Amino acid sequence: MSELKILEERKSFIQYGKNQSDGCGSLQCDSDSLSGAVSQRACVYCGARVVLNPITDAFHIVHGPIGCASYTWDIRGSLSSGSELFRNSFSTDLSEQDVVFGGEKKLGKAIEELVAKETPKVIFVYATCIVGVIGDDVDAVCKEAEAKYGIRVIPVKSPGFSGNKSYGYRMACDAIMTLIRPHTGPKKARSVNILGDFNLAGEMWIIQNYMKEIGIEVVSTITGDASYESLIKAPTASLNLVQCAGSMTYLAKQMESEMNIPFVKVSFFGIEDTSASILRVAEAVGTQENVNRAKALIRREEAKLKGFLESRIPRLTGKRAAIYVGGGFKAISLIRQFNAMGIKTVVVGTQTGKPEDYEIIGTLVDDDAVILDDANPTELELFMREKGADILVGGVKERPLAYKLGVAFCDHNHERKHALAGYEGVINFTNEINSSMNSPVWQYLQVPEFLTEEGEHE
Amino acid sequence: MSKNLVNLNVNPCKMCMPMGSVSAFYGIKKCMTILHGSQGCATYIRRHMATHYNEPVDIASSSLTEEGTVFGGEKNLIKGLETLIKLYEPEVIGVSTTCLAETIGEDLKRMIKDFNETHPDYKGKIIHVSTAGYAGTQYEGFFQALRAIVEQVEMKPEKHDGINVITGMISPADTRFLKSVFDSMRLDVVLLPDLSENLDGVHQPVYNRLPQHGTSVEDISKMAGARYTIELSTFIENEKSPGYYLEKTYGVPLIRLNLPVGLRDTDAFLEALTKTGAKVPKALIQSRGRYLDAMVDSHKYNAEGRAAIFGEPDFVYSMTQLCIENGLMSTVAATGAKCSALEDKIKTGIAEVGQFMFNDHFVIAQDTDFDHIEQFVADTKANVMIGSSDGRRIEEKMGVPLVRCAFPIHDHIGGQRVRMLGYEGSIDLLDRVTNTLLTLKESSYRETLYDKYYDETRKAPELKLVVGGKMSIEEKTKKHPCFNGCGTGYARIHLPIAPACNIQCNYCVRKYDCPNESRPGVTTQTLSPEEAYKKYVYVKEKMPNLTVVGIAGPGDALANYEKTRETLQLIHAYDPDVTFCISTNGLMLPQYANELVELGVSHVTVTLNAVDPRIGKDIYQYIDYMGTRYTGEIGASILLANQLAGIKMLTEKGLIVKVNTVVLKGINDAHIGAVVEKAKELGCEITNLMQMIPVKGSVFENMPLTSNKEIMEIRKQNSAILKQMYHCKQCRADAVGTLDNDESFSLEAESEAWKTQVTTIDVLSEKVSDTPVKPALPLFAVASKGGILVDQHFGHASDFYIYEYEGGTVRFKERRSVSKYCDGSESCDGNGGGKNVKMDQILEAVQDCVCVVAMRIGEAPKRKLMEKGVKVMMTYGRIEEVVDEAARAFRSERAI
Repeated sequence: MSELKILEERKSFIQYGKNQSDGCGSLQCDSDSLSGAVSQRACVYCGARVVLNPITDAFHIVHGPIGCASYTWDIRGSLSSGSELFRNSFSTDLSEQDVVFGGEKKLGKAIEELVAKETPKVIFVYATCIVGVIGDDVDAVCKEAEAKYGIRVIPVKSPGFSGNKSYGYRMACDAIMTLIRPHTGPKKARSVNILGDFNLAGEMWIIQNYMKEIGIEVVSTITGDASYESLIKAPTASLNLVQCAGSMTYLAKQMESEMNIPFVKVSFFGIEDTSASILRVAEAVGTQENVNRAKALIRREEAKLKGFLESRIPRLTGKRAAIYVGGGFKAISLIRQFNAMGIKTVVVGTQTGKPEDYEIIGTLVDDDAVILDDANPTELELFMREKGADILVGGVKERPLAYKLGVAFCDHNHERKHALAGYEGVINFTNEINSSMNSPVWQYLQVPEFLTEEGEHE
Repeated sequence: MSKNLVNLNVNPCKMCMPMGSVSAFYGIKKCMTILHGSQGCATYIRRHMATHYNEPVDIASSSLTEEGTVFGGEKNLIKGLETLIKLYEPEVIGVSTTCLAETIGEDLKRMIKDFNETHPDYKGKIIHVSTAGYAGTQYEGFFQALRAIVEQVEMKPEKHDGINVITGMISPADTRFLKSVFDSMRLDVVLLPDLSENLDGVHQPVYNRLPQHGTSVEDISKMAGARYTIELSTFIENEKSPGYYLEKTYGVPLIRLNLPVGLRDTDAFLEALTKTGAKVPKALIQSRGRYLDAMVDSHKYNAEGRAAIFGEPDFVYSMTQLCIENGLMSTVAATGAKCSALEDKIKTGIAEVGQFMFNDHFVIAQDTDFDHIEQFVADTKANVMIGSSDGRRIEEKMGVPLVRCAFPIHDHIGGQRVRMLGYEGSIDLLDRVTNTLLTLKESSYRETLYDKYYDETRKAPELKLVVGGKMSIEEKTKKHPCFNGCGTGYARIHLPIAPACNIQCNYCVRKYDCPNESRPGVTTQTLSPEEAYKKYVYVKEKMPNLTVVGIAGPGDALANYEKTRETLQLIHAYDPDVTFCISTNGLMLPQYANELVELGVSHVTVTLNAVDPRIGKDIYQYIDYMGTRYTGEIGASILLANQLAGIKMLTEKGLIVKVNTVVLKGINDAHIGAVVEKAKELGCEITNLMQMIPVKGSVFENMPLTSNKEIMEIRKQNSAILKQMYHCKQCRADAVGTLDNDESFSLEAESEAWKTQVTTIDVLSEKVSDTPVKPALPLFAVASKGGILVDQHFGHASDFYIYEYEGGTVRFKERRSVSKYCDGSESCDGNGGGKNVKMDQILEAVQDCVCVVAMRIGEAPKRKLMEKGVKVMMTYGRIEEVVDEAARAFRSERAI
């Protein structure tokens, strides 16, 4: 096994502790991945699909060869209260022939077939890499289909090479705007849209329940548990709440400028953020009555959590965490949640963090913590070992690596089957950290003497 | 410890001793067994074993009859032995007693001695074992037989280098595993018993009814000279232990170990084997590493497990131990055998996992039955069961999945191939348990989370229609005094905003305004939408039980549609939970039905006096429709068509529609049934059959009155068709309050109050101001992109979160986007971030604030802000915290 090395080209993407020099953050970030370094980042299509996938009654047609459709088939834990259509994966399955002669016809026929057999209200057509290269006019095919069938057929321009995952978010937001733009209406007082929650493990429902309790109407959920009918009402809300800022700020800004719907950013991860966000929503669009209800809800839920946390935290305090997640916002939120548990974050990295994210991160961790942008597995391994991390929070890809290193793991990703949002999420998150970090399995990792000393049979 | 305290065993979690005894004999080479007792014992045991092992199981019986039972069964046993020798030619015969034989006091030892003497031709070894069914379970029976074997086989005490390994009832596949370990370590081992082939035979061209494999008598005789014995049983007592006998009688040291299940106990087993000097082969060390990897890979899934483990004591111990080392809480550990040592052996381990999982609710039970186990499973919320197929009833009844891995398995195949020993067996079993938990989760989490978090009231399709409301139509109906039957508790307000009417009914004159008169179409004054809104707000504040706004004229709500719409929009913006109720003659219903739905109207009353234009023409003088006045049958036809179409549109959308019918003597009184039938057909909820109130000046002013008695009679007749309204008060168009207490006149006196105190709102504005115009409050601005923390440099700020200060506390006001303060120059990119945003825009965005909080700020902008009297705070932290801090500073400054 070769020694663990940090590539020369990667050194500027790594930083120890807070940067003291100029305060502008000297860590390099927000740039293209180094070829061959095994980046953990995904592609434009991935970003677009993540955002649009939870629209439950939409047909998602992946226009391209089969791989992209295959890898994104029902792999996320978004829940639906209605249609389960979104859990299917549709693809034009382009062949060599199609690549040579163009896939427009096949796409047109695919839509025709779908319309003949099903009753779609909206179809999203994802243009993948090959489509971008062979130059199919997906826009034209979609436009024609809209006219022909009287339904919405919306192109999502997501060739993998056209940017990074964040760019895919923007393409998805454009698609949503295309969908809702024609449906304006008078604004409803005391109503909001929730943007950037994907109803993983019912998280959107949890937030909706809070809104209901404080007397704020949720008009549209984007995109967790959304449907065509619910989405097109979005323009009538008086405020947008932006939860996953990374993917949805772009949409919120468009809705603000085109539809005059202001937005505020919120976070329902961790007690402090959940409480602050609930109160802020009430204050932003509600009356004193709504504010009072919000305060009562916060008081009640925080009191309920108090005893739980008092019993759990002694088991967690003093441990060391490594974080490797998609966006800076999530990393910051996790560091703060860990801090609240007395867990020190010793390694932290993101796929798409921005300079100011890293500056904030620098203020939240100790000086000897390692901060990484777009880290590769080698770096994660090196620093988790060096810093003696007890637990890693990351995506599914990072899980086996943590396990091989004898490090516990927290699945803070889209496949989760328990809610991490809201007060309930605090319980689940704490339990998950405990159940992995304090599992008895770690104490067996030593090889017993009779097996090492006496050696092998031959 | 929970112990079976009742005198009744319900659904046994154990079998009897002879079962164990005959199983053990199946591990002896060329051995045939006979049960000395009545026929049933052998048959039941054969059936049990045949379904588990999927092998032919032959067990002879002495078939004791009544005579044998009374006078002794020796004759039967001798006959039985003779016959089975003839049929099977066994080299070893196991004779096990049963309850019956033991109770009548059969002396097997003597009988067999006699048999050997009287049958010198038979050269085989006959081994007898005393196994009364009531003396223990199959677990004890198994070891009892092994003990009898080592006691009765003639031993050769010469020392040799081999070792003995004695096991309880493990599966043939696990037995093969043990043998492969011995082979790979080149060990000379006598394994007692050896079930590997006899109960898991290969398919061969010729079937041999006598088991050809297993431990031979010759091998057994060498056990007395072995270096040591490893006995794999946690609980077997010395008096039943073959290893203990060998130690006491021949001085063969005994190492008693747990079954090699899981990491710790497999390590211990292998370590015991290395005492011979043998080395552990690489393949085993590899599989050890693989098991460790599997433990780590599945530890989080296992942490969600709550296992109920049941079976023989050794199995329960080892399975529990496997769970403990994998952090899987075993909430139930139960054995049907009497085993008081079980609790001590596992309690600490389970409690440790319990401490890790914050779950101290677990049960350890001995001498128990499935009736109790079921209770334990329910009490401790177990989510997986591990044991024999006897748990299948609980699985079926309670939906707790069962991992079948212990004897007997009747409803699955492969009982003989179940693995649990060694690292690989542990992986097999662990994977099965983990996958069972995963399958359970995968197949149920969507539904579980839906049930847990999804609010049913949001599910009702009707709710979609109720714009902005958070109550379903059902809830609204319950709070609607006209629909909830008795009208108590909830109040309504009729807002008289619709003066015009588009039809003329022969019973109606709307010109009257008499406060003493209470009937439809009457009001003291009509209101503008804005006045109506003010009145509502005023009344709502005084009368919190006000739930319903009705538009009931004095004319027709839809003939004054613009006013109706504006009124509803205004009120809805103030109170999204309000119930809107509209009364109409239905003429314009098809035109506005969809819009009414959009406006949030949930209840509509349509006055439908006839469903035949020939009758209608006598009720309506004229209708004004689309700019033309129609009379006679044509007019009545148009009205009727629109009424029916409109009602249908509403009911199809899920609205509650009530039909009002004025009973007119000699005109429609014989036609009422047809009207009610039609209403039902159209999906209406209720009909309200009303008396006509004769009005001076109307066409029908001299029509005879329908009496109360008559109207009640008609209602009763029609109640068979559709729900009838019995409590109609025929309210005025400006009625206020509960049905029993109209407060419209007391309110009239206060009209000045509501007209001046309540300020208007703009329905399209985003915020409802429920207090009169406020003076400008001090504002605080926080530079934040993420909205949670102060996370932006002032110079890079794209967004400010603005808080207003009032009465010592701060309250969030709005988020300001810097790009909105664009001066129109080329640098405004609309994205509000990055270096291109001019400092001027930023300054502009916060210039009305008293304080600005940012992560950092340059000297120049700081100076500029100071010049404008804006204070500056540089800090990190949560927005709410820093704003509080800034507010405190502001307050103390003010105080000075």
